[in-house]
Amino acid sequence: MPRNFVDENTVKLTVNDKIYIDVELYTGEKFTMLEPHRLFPVSGLMKYISLLDEEGNEQMIIRDIERLMPESKEALLNCLNERYMIPKITRLIKRTEKFEIWMWTVDTDRGEFTFEIINSYQSIKILYDGRILIKDGNDNRYEIPDLYALDKRSIKLILPDV
Amino acid sequence: MNEVINTDVKTLLTNKPIPSVFEQRANELLCGSSPLMAVVGDLKLDGKYGESLLLVCADRLIAIDHLHENGGIMMLFEDIEKAEVKRMYGNALFRAKTNDGKNVDLIRFTYSATDLCDAVGDFIRHIKDGDDIDEQTEVVKITYDNLRCFCPKCGRKLASPNADCLNCKGKSKIASILYGYIKPHIRMLIISIILSVITTAMALVPPYITKMMVDDIIPQKNMQFLIYTIVALLGVYLLQYSLGALRAYLLRLAGDKIIADLKKDIYAKAQFLPMKFYDKTSTGSIINRINSDTTQLQNFMLRITQEAVVQLFMMIGIIIIMVIMNWKLALFSLIPVPIVAILSRFFGRKLGPMYRRLWRRMSSISTILSDTIPSIKVIKSFTNENNAINKFNRYVDDWMREDKTTAKISSIFPNAITFFVTCGSLVIWFVGGSYVINDNTDLTLGVLVSFISYASMFYTPVNFFASLSDSYQNALASTEKILDIINAEPEHNFGEGNSPKFFEGKIEFRNVNFSFDRSKKILNDVSFVIQPGETVGIVGTTGSGKSTIINLLMRFYDDYEGEIFVDDINIKDIDMDFFRSKIGFVQQEPLMFRDTIFNNIAYSLPGAHVDQVINAADIANAHTFISRLPDAYDTTLGERGVGLSGGEKQRLSIARAVLKNPNLMIFDEATSAVDSETEKLIQDAIDRVIRGRTTFMIAHRLSTLRKANRILVVDKGRIIENGSHDELMALKGKYYKLIQIQSMSEKVAADKQAENFE
Repeated sequence: MPRNFVDENTVKLTVNDKIYIDVELYTGEKFTMLEPHRLFPVSGLMKYISLLDEEGNEQMIIRDIERLMPESKEALLNCLNERYMIPKITRLIKRTEKFEIWMWTVDTDRGEFTFEIINSYQSIKILYDGRILIKDGNDNRYEIPDLYALDKRSIKLILPDV
Repeated sequence: MNEVINTDVKTLLTNKPIPSVFEQRANELLCGSSPLMAVVGDLKLDGKYGESLLLVCADRLIAIDHLHENGGIMMLFEDIEKAEVKRMYGNALFRAKTNDGKNVDLIRFTYSATDLCDAVGDFIRHIKDGDDIDEQTEVVKITYDNLRCFCPKCGRKLASPNADCLNCKGKSKIASILYGYIKPHIRMLIISIILSVITTAMALVPPYITKMMVDDIIPQKNMQFLIYTIVALLGVYLLQYSLGALRAYLLRLAGDKIIADLKKDIYAKAQFLPMKFYDKTSTGSIINRINSDTTQLQNFMLRITQEAVVQLFMMIGIIIIMVIMNWKLALFSLIPVPIVAILSRFFGRKLGPMYRRLWRRMSSISTILSDTIPSIKVIKSFTNENNAINKFNRYVDDWMREDKTTAKISSIFPNAITFFVTCGSLVIWFVGGSYVINDNTDLTLGVLVSFISYASMFYTPVNFFASLSDSYQNALASTEKILDIINAEPEHNFGEGNSPKFFEGKIEFRNVNFSFDRSKKILNDVSFVIQPGETVGIVGTTGSGKSTIINLLMRFYDDYEGEIFVDDINIKDIDMDFFRSKIGFVQQEPLMFRDTIFNNIAYSLPGAHVDQVINAADIANAHTFISRLPDAYDTTLGERGVGLSGGEKQRLSIARAVLKNPNLMIFDEATSAVDSETEKLIQDAIDRVIRGRTTFMIAHRLSTLRKANRILVVDKGRIIENGSHDELMALKGKYYKLIQIQSMSEKVAADKQAENFE
């Protein structure tokens, strides 16, 4: 089945229910309660957004959020921000280890939080663009956008794990 | 007002203490109802970290979050169409859909609370369906109990309430690991140490004789004594190096034994690790641990047990001799020692994290190798050799960059130490030389020369202990990885020794929920009963959870919620070896070992008689093709069964399963990757094998399931239909649709085939 790539200039998106959006095409065709999914949630946050219906069937793909009309772009980004929660770590407050389970207390853009890392070798990944992705013991994700932009103490605490 | 919640907290099912700030609002909304369970969320509805609360009573639920109007809402079950978890990315919502179709977000949480909220959603559904409240509360309680099952010592999740924490119980620290492997070879090592002490003591003799020659023998021109002295020196050297060779042999022997024990133990441990460990750990990283990390650890162990003892002995001996010769000079020679100690601590701290990072890079390289070398056919078929090379080079460059940084520090370190040590010799030359020139002490030239020899010998152990921190940090990084395997929790065998006399083959799944990780639920409240001897087909679209049902039944994963029974006994209470020996498992991709066909079939029953193997091959429709091979049963297969077609390998795997005469047969897409003719051969074999045995068959081609007594239709992790082929066809549900679709595509294929023939 061919994918339905929509022309970003001819589509109007409006938030329906926090994580769902309604779509109106220039042809007048309307879709309601579509759920946006990033096809590249790690490597391309603003590209290739798949819109799924309530059954999980893909209705269309938006190639580039930046090309949408401002109101549609805002609606889609609001939806995506609700759905995707990858707190950005701004400071490592405390790092303790017991029996190879690491406990990190961090400051993030969503507030302070404490989580466990069961196996630092598998749960902390450094990407080639310098970002560090972390998965905690409950499969929640966190991101350090730039390790060297953190304070010296945080860098010193994190460096052995990456 | 606070009393309602406070009193109930003791009996209330909850994941955390109820935040006191919520108590008042909760009691207002409860209006006297008693909550049965509570979930304390760790996110606020706006996605910021903070607490929220969900209380569930017998007929209503209450959600508290500061973003709700007046801080909380109450909903009666009768007004709710359904309540369920909406998993998002890194967080989830517990939402209720009202009877008029409106979605209400109740609380938000990270994945830490998804299991609980799933259980609460199921509870509400069952209560609305009219199920018994106490019974359903008990089901939810299991989820809460699982959540509370944490080891008070290490905080790791336990397999069941009050179970021993295998993580803490079997915890081995680095020192005890070292000792555990050294202990069996302690005699050999002690002999080696004694030999070292003797050779070291002998090494201390020549400088003293030098002093005698410089101060006495040569000035007195005593030729005879000179010859005696040289002969004595020759004897000392001969003995020293002979004992040295013996010591080296014993050390090598002990070292090899230690490394062999270590490798065997890690491999043995790896066999009993649960599938979850392998899901998360790359093969390359495991191979790296068994091969290079053990060598690293062995080197360090030998350094500690041998070199360190010898060097310590040498250091003490030299200090004593130097003090006897001239205590003032001896004090001067100790000047560099504190500087060396400070430096080694400083460099040790720097090197530790570097070696850990280096290990990660090396492990990535191993992972790439174990990933790409077995897939060389894929690489070649997509002409992707250059990309593979570039990717590998990138990883090697990455390792090299890291190694360069480490090399800088680890190269500066010993040279800095040597520099300070050399400065120590200069001090002795200066002070001792002054004494000899000024002639104001009894220090002779011979004593000074001899002292300088001892001083340079003294700095060797100082250097050794300083550089020990470098190899210690390196070994520490390797040991941590080995500990990862040695200390990993093995598969739990709670029912060890419990082998029921009869194995009829009745299977029951009761409220089973499972997810590989919390971001996606794979099985959702799965319940069914299969009677002994029934043949059951499991159908559903890809990713619906069919194979997961089998994985749980095989006990590849134990951390599911709910219970699975065989002949009314919980499978976790049956001896795992016994249980698995009763199951014949034929996978979609049959795995063969690099061994003969005979040994590959007999793998399931070591020591099987030739007749048994031939009979099993016959039942599996494999004997005919095997006997036509030049080496027949002695044919050695290549890696993973290279040399046979997919259908042939599949028939061998059926023969392997048949040989152990299992009570329960499982076929996971056994005919999905073969042509129609081979499929018929395999299907005939299957028909013979399943007679009288409880059988599970997962199949894409639904036509192969027509003989099944019962068919389970799985969709999005739930059993949505359960009945015979005729019953399900009459139901005109999902199964009916799947049959329709497949009949159509089969017809199209048949038409196309007919056209081609024409």
